[in-house]
Amino acid sequence: MIRVVDLWKSFGTHDVLKGISIDVPTGTTYVILGGSGSGKTVLMKHVIGLLKPDRGTVLVGDVDIPKLEGKELTEARRMFGMVFQQSALFDSMTVFENVAFPLRERKRGIPAAELKERVIEKLRVVDLSESVLPLYPSELSGGMKKRVALARALIHDPQVVLYDEPTTGLDPITTDYVDDMIVQAKQKLGVTSMVISHDIASSFKVADRLGVLYDGQLAAQGTPEEVRRSDHPHVKKFLALWFEKQ
Amino acid sequence: MQRIRAWFEDFGNMIFFAGEALAWMFRPPFRPELVIIQMAAIGVGSTFIITTTGFFTGVVLALQTNYAMHQLGAEGYVGGTVAVGLARELGPVLTALFLVGRSGSAISTELGTMRVTEQIDAMETMAVSPVQYLVVPRLLAALAMFPLLTMLFNFVGYLGAYIIGIVVAEIPAGPFIEHTRTLLEPKDIMHGLFKAVIFGGVVALVTCWRGFAATGGAKGVGEGTTRAVVTSSIAILVVDTAFVLITVGSGK
Repeated sequence: MIRVVDLWKSFGTHDVLKGISIDVPTGTTYVILGGSGSGKTVLMKHVIGLLKPDRGTVLVGDVDIPKLEGKELTEARRMFGMVFQQSALFDSMTVFENVAFPLRERKRGIPAAELKERVIEKLRVVDLSESVLPLYPSELSGGMKKRVALARALIHDPQVVLYDEPTTGLDPITTDYVDDMIVQAKQKLGVTSMVISHDIASSFKVADRLGVLYDGQLAAQGTPEEVRRSDHPHVKKFLALWFEKQ
Repeated sequence: MQRIRAWFEDFGNMIFFAGEALAWMFRPPFRPELVIIQMAAIGVGSTFIITTTGFFTGVVLALQTNYAMHQLGAEGYVGGTVAVGLARELGPVLTALFLVGRSGSAISTELGTMRVTEQIDAMETMAVSPVQYLVVPRLLAALAMFPLLTMLFNFVGYLGAYIIGIVVAEIPAGPFIEHTRTLLEPKDIMHGLFKAVIFGGVVALVTCWRGFAATGGAKGVGEGTTRAVVTSSIAILVVDTAFVLITVGSGK
C-alpha cells in the first residue's frame, strides 16, 4: 500500500533523510521508531505530500505522491486520515463539528441525518458515546481528545491512517488505551497505518513491522522480534533503555 | 545584513500569501456562512468601541476647531471643517487603527494558536485549503466591515461635534449645518470609504499572515500578534500618506 523508495531530504546543509526505503503492505501497521530529531516527522510529511523529496519517491497505492501538485495532491490526500501529536482538534468546534468536518467539506450538501449517523458510527469505533457530541475539545481529557481525533481521521473511510506520536504526553493507562485503539482501527476497518513514535513499549505493541530511524537512516527494520534482535549498536542502546526496565 | 535579508524574505512570503488569498476568493466552494460569522466578529463586535471613540473624536475635534475658528470669527465653519476632516482622514484612519487593536489582534492570536497547535496542518491534511477556509472569510468580512464602521464613526463623530457646536459653543444650528453642506462633498465621503476598504484588506492580510507564520508556542503567538499590530498600524499610515500625496496632487 505504501512504498517509500530511496528517499533523500536535506534542509540547507543538514541531511535529514538519507536513502530511506520502506514497504507497508495493505492492512498492516508500520511504526517508525526514533529519538527526537531523527527525521520521523519529516518522513511522515513526505508520505502525505507536505514536503517534496530531493531524491526518491513515495508511492501510496499507484499514486506517486511527490509528483502531485495542487488539485491532484488535494484529491490524493483524501486517501489519508491523520492523527496529530496534540490531537489538533479545532477548538472553536464541538466534537460533532470536528468529526463531521472532513466529510462535510468533501461532500458538501450531505444530508444532516446521514452526517450524524456517520459521526456516531465512527465515535463507536473509538468507544465514545453520543453524549460527547456537544462538548468542546477543552472539555475533554487527553485520551478522549485522541479518540475524537481518530474518529475524525476515520470519518471519510481513508485507506491509510497516519499517527504522529500518538502516545506522547499521555499517562500509562491512557497510552495503553490509545494503543488498543490503533490496533482496533486496523482490525475493525482494515486500514493501513503508519505510526511515528519514540515510545518503545507502544511501538512494539501496535506494530506489525517497525523501523528504527537513526541519523536519517533506518538502522533496523522488520518485525518487532527481528528489530529486537538487531546488532546495530544504536538500536541495541535505544531498545535497552526500555527492555532492561522490564 | 542577515536581518535585512530575513525582512525581505518575510515580506516576499507575505506578498505571496496575499496573492494566494486573493486567488482563493474567486474559487469554489464559497462559504458565505463563515463570512457572516467573521462580519459579526469584526463588525458587530466592534460597534461599541467605534461608537465611543467616534463620538469623543468628534467632540475633541469640534472643541479644537471652534477654538481656532473663534479667533477668526468663523465659528459657523466648525461643522463643515469637522465633517470634511472626519470623512477624508480621521474616520477611515482612526477606525482602521482601532480595528487593528480590537479585531486584528484577535485574528492573529486565533490563527497563531491554530498554527502552533497543528490545527492548520490538520486542515491541510483533510484536503481543505486553510487559506480558503480561514483567510478568505476574514478578508471579505474586513473589506465589507471597515467602510461600514467608518461610516458609523463619521456619523457619531459628527453628532458629537454637533452637540459641542450647538450646546457648548452656542453656534446657531443653521450655519453649522449649512456650512457642512457647502464644504462636505460626496467625493470626500467616497474618498474616505475607498481608503477604508483598502485598510480592511491590508489589516486582514497582515494579521492573518502573522497568525499563519507563528512558530513555537504561546510566546511565538504573542510575538506574532505584536508584529501584526505594529505592521498593520504602520501599513495603514503609509498607505494613507501615499493616498493623500496622490489625491491632493491630482486635486481629487
